[in-house]
Amino acid sequence: MTTQTEGNPRTPEPVPLERAGELGIHRVIDQNGELNGDLADPGLSRDEVRMFYETMVLLRLIDERGWKLQRSGRIAFWIPLRGQEAVQVAATHAMDPADWIFREHRTMSPWLMRGASLELLFAQLFGAASEPQKGRRLPCLIGNRAVNMVQGPTQVGSFITHACGVGWAAKLKGSDARVLGMFGDGATSRSEFHSAMNFAGIHRPFVVFLCVNNSWAVSTPLDRQTASSEFAAKGNAYEVPNLRVDGNDPLAVYAVTKKARADTDSHGPTLIEAITWRSGFHTSSDNPDLYRQRQEDKLWEPWDPIRRTRKYLTRADWWNDDDENDLLERCAARIQKAVEQAENMDIPGPDSQFEDVFESSNWMLDEQRKKLLDELADGNH
Amino acid sequence: MRMTVLEALRAAMAYELDNDPDVLILGEDVGTAGGIFRVTEGLQNRFGKYRVVDTPMDEKGIIGHAIGLALFGMKPIAEIQFSGFIHDAHEQIMFCAAKYRWISGGQYTVPMVIRAPSFGGIKGGIWHSQSIESYYAHGGGIKIVCPSTPQDAYGLMLAAIRDPDPVLVLEPVPLYRALSGEVNENGEASKIGVGELVRSGSHVTAVTYGPLRHTTAKVADELAASHGIETEVIDLVSLIPYDIDLLTESVETTGRLVIIHEASETLGFGAELAARVQQRSFGSLQAPIERVGAPDVPYSYRVGDEYCRPNERRIAATIKRTAEYSF
Repeated sequence: MTTQTEGNPRTPEPVPLERAGELGIHRVIDQNGELNGDLADPGLSRDEVRMFYETMVLLRLIDERGWKLQRSGRIAFWIPLRGQEAVQVAATHAMDPADWIFREHRTMSPWLMRGASLELLFAQLFGAASEPQKGRRLPCLIGNRAVNMVQGPTQVGSFITHACGVGWAAKLKGSDARVLGMFGDGATSRSEFHSAMNFAGIHRPFVVFLCVNNSWAVSTPLDRQTASSEFAAKGNAYEVPNLRVDGNDPLAVYAVTKKARADTDSHGPTLIEAITWRSGFHTSSDNPDLYRQRQEDKLWEPWDPIRRTRKYLTRADWWNDDDENDLLERCAARIQKAVEQAENMDIPGPDSQFEDVFESSNWMLDEQRKKLLDELADGNH
Repeated sequence: MRMTVLEALRAAMAYELDNDPDVLILGEDVGTAGGIFRVTEGLQNRFGKYRVVDTPMDEKGIIGHAIGLALFGMKPIAEIQFSGFIHDAHEQIMFCAAKYRWISGGQYTVPMVIRAPSFGGIKGGIWHSQSIESYYAHGGGIKIVCPSTPQDAYGLMLAAIRDPDPVLVLEPVPLYRALSGEVNENGEASKIGVGELVRSGSHVTAVTYGPLRHTTAKVADELAASHGIETEVIDLVSLIPYDIDLLTESVETTGRLVIIHEASETLGFGAELAARVQQRSFGSLQAPIERVGAPDVPYSYRVGDEYCRPNERRIAATIKRTAEYSF
């Protein structure tokens, strides 16, 4: 299986989605947007699929703009999401708005789909004082309680147990809320993944685990992450039902996530592995040319989620070129307005970092705050 | 009612389990067995297996799941079987539980209790005798308390459960059953951050916390009788935050300070105390601030209790030297 020679970018590997049936990867539509999978069409309405498509396009355009903002030095960091639009949009739609979503680092969909503003999202990228996390997290590490989207600690996978614990609490408290715990393929190597599966098998919390397998953890390909041929099967050892799904097929991701959510009542957790492809850099600090060939991206292009969804919409006569032009114009205008507003927002002052360490400050923090402010004032000759 | 430290901790947890449906206990062997020290004995029978939960043997998992429970409004009390086993969960404690409030801009909070049976003196060797406070005092977001009497144990456990932030409770293992006293079971929490003046004295201040409070008080009585040295003994009781005013007021009277703790001296909590006291009370000091702690060596099974953990002889020698010091 390993085709990487030492020190060189690996030889491109076949796209697993080409052998979906053989590999047990569930799907609804094929690369041409035709109903040609093992799963039934989940019966989403015209408006719902159009919303999927419009959100995916908006995400891609946000990604393109974010990348440019980083490359031109206006924001410090960027985490590209290109190619992974379908899984986040469809999974968000499969959950209820009150459900908690622990995002992985390339997911922005709950923010957009649950009504938080684009201005506020760009405010996070610029580190504005008024964004929900008060400018404390790196650009793209976005969290917003108003839309039940949790940005956990930055360490990949560290929050899988937190998602599981929230689902456990929801069950204990008899809440209607369910939890979607998203994480990447690399996160399955963290002990928290195994802790969460282990506890989930025992306590059957109200949680859907969604492993977004984008084929890469920074430069590490799947066969260096695990000897297992799949991530979903890791649930078997813990009695956590699991499945694999075509992560670039929004209808399939929606169908399996919807079912997994419904199943929380009867059996608790499900582990979904959604297979997708990180078509861009890991982050703005990465250089993928060191470890993979651009040709491999080409192999994935026919499987691009936006392309496939547009084909499905076109076949259904739910989308035309006028719709497309109109969408692109609207997205561009919204993004431009959001950037202009966000870039002019105030950034946090020196006091702000002392807030929220504890609910109430203590003498130790008070003394340090005063010392800092005094030193800053005295240093101004 | 008269009770041991262990019974006082249990009484406080039972009180909160009874009065707050969101409280639950989780940890290894805490349910059927009542914990390896029996601190939670009888609680599962009384409150059921959903509120006193036996977990897999996974410290990082216990803390990680407790964080999730707390994020959704539960009040988990997570037991770590011995403080020496806590380090697997260090990132979960220090960079998850202790940081959620801040990283989320105050949107999410993690009110939880972490119980860590701590300290030496039980022939426990390296993993069953640990003083872990310095590892968890650094970097903010978690409070640390260290009860050393039954009343403190009761009041601080209640305070920890009701606190809006994570609280690490360093339970004094050698005192669990060795010490009993009156506890007012009135359901009232102590205030975190308040130290206790254990013994008044005008010649030298000795500050400590945990089981050594009792050792230090005994040494102070003996030094008064044998040498006429009057030692003021302070038990910090809380470490984050600690009672700086109680400490500096004493040092400004005596001019001399000895810090006593079980942890290794280098970057032990005494380093923080010494730095802060000299900064606040430099003009009052009449002797170098001294520390009595463990050397920077692991804790031996056979001789750790005698030669690693501060004992009466070392404490007495250092207090005497500091009291008699002159420039």
